[in-house]
Amino acid sequence: MNRSFRRNSIGLLSGAIASTALTATLHYGPWSLPLGVAIGVAYSAAVRPTRRAYADNLMAGGSLGVPLWGLISVITVPLLFGQMPEWNAEQMRQHFPALVGWVVYGALLGIINQALQDGAEYLFGPEPAPKVPAVSVDKRIVILGGGFAGMHAAECLEETLRGDASISLTLVNETNALLFTPMLAEVAGSSLEPSHISTPLRSTLRRTDFIRGVVAGVDLEKRFVILDSDGGADGLSSRREIPYNHLIFALGSVSNYLGMTNIEKFAFNFKSLLDAIRIRNRIIEMFERADVESDPLLRSSLLTFVIAGGGFAGVELAGALNDFAHGILADYPRLHPHELNIMLVHSRDRVLPELSESLARYAQEKMQLRGVSFRLNTRIVDAHPGMVLLSDGEIHTETLVWTAGTAPSPLLKSLPLEKDKRGALLVDSTLALQGCPGLWAIGDCAAVTDAATGRPCPPTAQFALREAEVLASNIRAQLEGRTARGFHFDSLGALCVVGHQTACAELRIPFARSKFLRFSGLFAWFLWRGIYLAKLPGLERKIRVLMDWTIELFFPRDIVQTIDLK
Amino acid sequence: MPETQSVIGAQFKSTLSPLVRVESLLGLVIGTTGGLLESAVLKTSLFSGGLLGLTFGLAFGFFFARRATSPGAGLIWGLGSSFLLWILTAGGFFHFVATTGRFAMRLQDAQGHFAELVAYVLCLGMPVGVGLGIRGGFRTSRPDKKFAWGRAIVAGGFAGTLGGLIFGRWVSSGDYFPLLAGFGELSSRRMTISLHFAVALLIGVAFGLLFQRDVRAYGSCMGWGLGFGIFWWFFGPLTLLRLASGMPLDWSAEQGSAVFGSLVGHILYGLILGVAYATIDKIWVRLFIQSDPLNREIEGAGLHILRSLGWGAIAGLLGGLASMPVMIATGVLPKVAGVDSTLLGLCGVFIHLSVSAAIGMTYGLLFRDEASARGDAITWGCLFGLIWWYLGPMTLLPLLLTGVCDWSTDAASALLPSLLGHLIYGAVTALIFFLFDRRYTRSLLLDPRTSTRELRRLRPVGTPAPALWLFALSLGVLLPILLG
Repeated sequence: MNRSFRRNSIGLLSGAIASTALTATLHYGPWSLPLGVAIGVAYSAAVRPTRRAYADNLMAGGSLGVPLWGLISVITVPLLFGQMPEWNAEQMRQHFPALVGWVVYGALLGIINQALQDGAEYLFGPEPAPKVPAVSVDKRIVILGGGFAGMHAAECLEETLRGDASISLTLVNETNALLFTPMLAEVAGSSLEPSHISTPLRSTLRRTDFIRGVVAGVDLEKRFVILDSDGGADGLSSRREIPYNHLIFALGSVSNYLGMTNIEKFAFNFKSLLDAIRIRNRIIEMFERADVESDPLLRSSLLTFVIAGGGFAGVELAGALNDFAHGILADYPRLHPHELNIMLVHSRDRVLPELSESLARYAQEKMQLRGVSFRLNTRIVDAHPGMVLLSDGEIHTETLVWTAGTAPSPLLKSLPLEKDKRGALLVDSTLALQGCPGLWAIGDCAAVTDAATGRPCPPTAQFALREAEVLASNIRAQLEGRTARGFHFDSLGALCVVGHQTACAELRIPFARSKFLRFSGLFAWFLWRGIYLAKLPGLERKIRVLMDWTIELFFPRDIVQTIDLK
Repeated sequence: MPETQSVIGAQFKSTLSPLVRVESLLGLVIGTTGGLLESAVLKTSLFSGGLLGLTFGLAFGFFFARRATSPGAGLIWGLGSSFLLWILTAGGFFHFVATTGRFAMRLQDAQGHFAELVAYVLCLGMPVGVGLGIRGGFRTSRPDKKFAWGRAIVAGGFAGTLGGLIFGRWVSSGDYFPLLAGFGELSSRRMTISLHFAVALLIGVAFGLLFQRDVRAYGSCMGWGLGFGIFWWFFGPLTLLRLASGMPLDWSAEQGSAVFGSLVGHILYGLILGVAYATIDKIWVRLFIQSDPLNREIEGAGLHILRSLGWGAIAGLLGGLASMPVMIATGVLPKVAGVDSTLLGLCGVFIHLSVSAAIGMTYGLLFRDEASARGDAITWGCLFGLIWWYLGPMTLLPLLLTGVCDWSTDAASALLPSLLGHLIYGAVTALIFFLFDRRYTRSLLLDPRTSTRELRRLRPVGTPAPALWLFALSLGVLLPILLG
């Protein structure tokens, strides 16, 4: 028997029987029956049937009598007779008998409804479960990469395809967490605990199937992704194929060493959480070795830290390492501040090309005052153990960190897809790869052109997040046969921390295209922390970071080595 | 949920036969004793009183004993069923249908039977419910919900004292202690305050001990607080405190009217107690139970709160729209707006809707984990509306506008029209909120992990929520009408 029919019939019958209480107490004449029946049907539909719950239904029904009394006897019935509702105190008191009648009716309705439910179950078996249409997965959307672009694309797709079980979502990433890169320099500078700026993808994505693995390739003809998942039972890697209907490339970027193999071999990378932990431990290791080193030249080499690249990453890292290194000097009384040298090497005449010149100069001056030295218009051409060769000289150092360039994921090289000179996938304004239905690309690995201005979009997190939103909307549009929309976004501005409680900010004025507010110092620093704390995913992570920052106000930074770099 | 039900069902089934015998016998003994006591107090025929008590005890033992799994659950089921007994007997339904063939009871008749209402609640519902509940506590082992004595006493006692402190400071300025109403004059103010706190502590500890297993979040704590407040008004000012001060028992409607202000006070105290208890209990659970990785829930704190606030605001807005015609027609809206009636118009409507949205947010915050079906939602919503009637127009609004709150029967009578508006508001708000939440939950059910959240919300069959709804909602509406 159909579930609705069964419930309605039971409600109809129980309402009809219980309406005798209304007939006895109210003066509605023949209207008591249809009224009782209508309420009975509604009650039966609204209450979850449970076997032998007589006491529960008796009480629940009785309690529903009270609002029914107010709604029907006091308000609706007088209105139907063309009178004002009888809701002043005296009139309501006159309706007291009706209140008793409604409570009795409700109680009767509850208990009869339960009896009929049990009777029906005895005669016809349990109520059929609501028909859930057998859902088979028709479309598979696979996202490669779990950075800002990939994770946000998954979030937006979850939201936009909510309730549609015929579409499966899969996200593949090499690590199981999203790294919040704007705070990475603070991990290297020992301000923040490493795991506090990473958000687990499994916890954040509710219906997306997450797979930790390395993408070995993509078969564009047969439409499946080939994974090189490690951690098999035998400890060896195993290959796995994931079919797709829509494939989203959000693989991000890797460091670009411009073909200099020695630098690739000797320099520290600064892209991942492990890189930041390594750099922090390297600093501590150099301090420990310098502490017992008597040769001044060697000590100088150990205490010289070179950062290649004067973009956001390089400047923020130089500022964080400078603060960290100077801060821990107190624990090494045999080392002197003048022996410490944090040097930033940059190929252009000013740092922070993303910001205006005035802010860049401000940042440089502030950092110089705090002890950072700059080598501008200088390129790093080679590196050897203990030495970095520059275009105009050499520096004796044991530590070189590379932030000078990035390139799209090397996986893209193996794919026969159209790319720009950086190696990023060329997409049209809707973020789809032209001539390749079902293929999309966003983030650092995509060469996106703004649909409104025609200008290329920079590979930043700010743009990646907006691209992910448009992408989700466009995939849904395509699934529904609608027209996809072009991507357009005006940058909101940029923020950069240059040292202790000092930052530079350049924020776009709302509704005024290409006009920016520029400020610096403590307020910009507060703004930086406030904005990025708000953007850090997860309340728990926010609280942990806030606690780290608070602890840092009162206690020196930790110099415990967490990994062995010897 | 089906698994939970089947487990409970199997437990019940296996114990049904001996259970019915033993519990019915116990109910019969306690009920008969209660009936005799009731007759003695009301000075009626011992035979009829004993017979009524016997019948009630027997019926309770047969129908409700399985539900009385603890003294607290038994008490609530007892209160609900004793109220139903009053409606059917002294309340007039059976009597008048039997004698006249047609129900023609007047309010005055019901007022004349007010003493029976108190007697049924205190002599039949309470002892039979608690007695069978104690027996049920020994019978039923609920491994899912172990009783923690320390938690109950500490959380309940602290909440009671906190409620007493808030409440005492509030009303002591007017030198009126609702928890001691009916006790008569004490020799010194210090003794009065000490007794006020002793009663507050007693109520709080009793709340914790009785209801730890049944309440689950702020909403249910408030509901239970409201019901317990009404019960305590019957038990304290109308009974115990009078006896303690050497006065004879007086359960007449006149005496009820005389201490009506204390009823409002007890209801508000119950609400404060419920919120305080829920807060302390939640902290306790968070610190000592959920902090254990074995018990940790998938969704962290705060994930659902913002969403609930948003849904609550929209639901409250729609509830405000639904109740607005009532509020305008009964002339309540200008008072709600706090402006002169000549200014009623957009300003009043705007303020009404803003307040409705804000109160809807409190529904989202406090009642978000209570309702699992539309019927439940409507009932919880009505209870929420009733709470806000006592809290808003009866207490906060006059307090804000005039600096004093008037808890007299006259004030309650004047505000009766808005009671309907509040019930409609609560029901619509709760229903809309439920629909929002259900839509979201259904989409989440694609992920099997999150379906545990839905299961958590389903109140297992047998908890005393329906009895609480009947007792608190009916008496919360009935008493201002009956005693006015």
